[in-house]
Amino acid sequence: MKRVFVGLSGGVDSSVTALLLKQQGYDVVGVYMKNWSQDLPGMHCSWLEDYQDAKRVAVQLGIDFKMYDFQKDYKHKVVNYMLDEFKAGRTPNPDIICNQEIKFKLFLNTALEDGADYVATGHYARLVRDLISHKGRRSGVDVRDQIFHMLMAKDANKDQTYFLYRISLEALGKTLWPLGELTKPQVREVARKNKLVTADKKDSMGICFVGKVSIKDFLMEYVQSQPGAIIEQNGKTIGQHGGAIFYTIGQRHGLELGGGLPYYVTGKNMKKNEVYVTTDLQDENLWNRVIRLTDMHWINKPKAESQKPQADLAVRIRHRAKLIPVKKLKLINNNSARAELGDDVRALTPGQSAVFYAGELVLGGGIVF
Amino acid sequence: MKKSIYLDYAAATPLDADVLKAMEPYFADDFHNPSAIYLAGRKARLALEQARAAVAKHLGARTGEIVFTAGATEANNLAVQGVMKNFDGGEILVSAIEHESVLAPAGLFNCRHVPVDKKGRLSLDKLAKLINDNTVLVSVGLVNNEIGSLQPLREIAQILKRVSNSRGSRGLPLYLHTDAAQAANYFDLHVSRLGVDLMTINGGKIYGPKQTGVLYIRTGVKLQPLILGGGQESGLRSGTENVAGAMGLAKALDRAQQLKQEENQRVGRLRDLFIAELAAKFPKAIINSVSKNQSPHILSVTFPGTDNERLMMELDEAGVQVAVGSACSASSQEPSHVLKAIGLSNAQAQATLRFSFGRQTTEENIIKTLNILQAILNKSSD
Repeated sequence: MKRVFVGLSGGVDSSVTALLLKQQGYDVVGVYMKNWSQDLPGMHCSWLEDYQDAKRVAVQLGIDFKMYDFQKDYKHKVVNYMLDEFKAGRTPNPDIICNQEIKFKLFLNTALEDGADYVATGHYARLVRDLISHKGRRSGVDVRDQIFHMLMAKDANKDQTYFLYRISLEALGKTLWPLGELTKPQVREVARKNKLVTADKKDSMGICFVGKVSIKDFLMEYVQSQPGAIIEQNGKTIGQHGGAIFYTIGQRHGLELGGGLPYYVTGKNMKKNEVYVTTDLQDENLWNRVIRLTDMHWINKPKAESQKPQADLAVRIRHRAKLIPVKKLKLINNNSARAELGDDVRALTPGQSAVFYAGELVLGGGIVF
Repeated sequence: MKKSIYLDYAAATPLDADVLKAMEPYFADDFHNPSAIYLAGRKARLALEQARAAVAKHLGARTGEIVFTAGATEANNLAVQGVMKNFDGGEILVSAIEHESVLAPAGLFNCRHVPVDKKGRLSLDKLAKLINDNTVLVSVGLVNNEIGSLQPLREIAQILKRVSNSRGSRGLPLYLHTDAAQAANYFDLHVSRLGVDLMTINGGKIYGPKQTGVLYIRTGVKLQPLILGGGQESGLRSGTENVAGAMGLAKALDRAQQLKQEENQRVGRLRDLFIAELAAKFPKAIINSVSKNQSPHILSVTFPGTDNERLMMELDEAGVQVAVGSACSASSQEPSHVLKAIGLSNAQAQATLRFSFGRQTTEENIIKTLNILQAILNKSSD
């Protein structure tokens, strides 16, 4: 019997994940990852309640339960990464790094050392394993390699592949995602039918593990900011801001400039601590037809330069953003890429990820720079 | 809804029907502020003073020595901070197993802990040795909330009296405070028999309303108030008085003290039954107290090799509600200071449950609980 360690967050998705895998005959162990326990301004960290819910679900399912304390690593690899990115003027996505570094690396490795054959999470995504056979180069004998296809979840509304594209292939080989074929309402139904205590628990929101705290409040805890100039499209200084670090391209709120037309952030200069704004919704800084990416990570790598790109090649530049058709995708060395899109995208934000899809298939992606 | 077996009376008690009846008129009918001069206000004042007199009677105290507080934590804070703030540089001695609501305010001053033995009984010798010329207050709870051990308050009072006498009338006073929250259902609370200068009562633990309490303050003991304002309770606890709460607490104390002998015996028998069943079914289980010098309603049991939090959840799944005897879990990362003080290791503390019995506990409850426990522990050892 294969043993799988399920990351139990205390939410309904991971609860049902554990239940389904147990029904499928796996030896399931529930693990709560303690990544963060600090309260922040205006937010009470619910880690203790979540831990107790996770443990209670383990009791209900009759499975073993452990807790892994990853607070130090999480602070270092996710929180500090986030702060560094913000300080550099970019807008990072902590959930993506959390999956890459914590859930599908640290957690996975710890679980494997602890006797797991697989790890599982309550993510909405599909993983299809395929064996391709080819003749071994030297031996000439048939060799079969395992390859992975990451596919969007059946529930398009809940699909989380945007956050999962940076997971290593090695990690994918040890991962199970049983919720990929289910819709959220179906998951809730399973939980209710089995009387799991988390069946009706509200989904968690906010920064992965940290909680529902505004980015501004979060940054203010850790970063010193200075007031600086807000400069509009004609070069005129029209106001003051509390720190360029708090602003992101396309942002409309928080400019405190009084009545009249709304202003949108078109860019910023961290060194000068200046924020640039416009009232022109069509300002060229707000729209891009070409995107440039770095730190590429592929699950299914396309050819270096596609002469005839796949008809269904598309990109997503933000979670829950529309899929934009890609006209041309060029891979520049191992680390960068350039994509020409079939349509304009609004507020392309440095630090955010762009993830490429061929239909339902997740190809991979990179970071906007 | 499946009926649950409730065995956590040390944490909370259901409101007694007579208590509710006693409180009822003061919610919407006689709701007036006792400080109001019109007749309806005077009526409320009268009721409050009747409640005060009733409490005083049970404690063998004068009405002027009874202060109503919002619960026992507040009363303990008032006692400790109230006394110690009057004596700059003074020392306070507390037993190592006091409730956090005594330890926390005590920690604001020069505080030392008096150790207890393996069964949670204060060492009189060690106490005597720790008292010095600067000691002003000694706080020892009559019945401990985690393990139920009963303290020799009279003997402690005698030790303090000897020291007081030797100091003479010019010396620093030496007061004895006791948190009697867990004792009021089963023991005599007469302040002169116990020899205390200050005593805390908790309405919420005696089938009365939560957030009601009393601090008894012997005449002559000077306290600085914690809560300032309109000057109610002789300036010691400002705030519009909770007349309904006071009536409820007085009635609850009345019932508790009326029933104490009977309940002490009945609950004592339940506890003995529990211990006998435990010995038969779980020979490896360790009981963290003795039957003598013990309150009948609390039983702390260590089940070596188990995870008490998990055990508590499994019991809850089966309809039995008990307490985790140790706060040592992922939650607080600190073992219960009480279990630590009686010599339990972290692992043992993490394997400890607290069962506490009350007015509605029956023999059937006990037997059923132990059967359920057996089923759970057998399953996990498979």
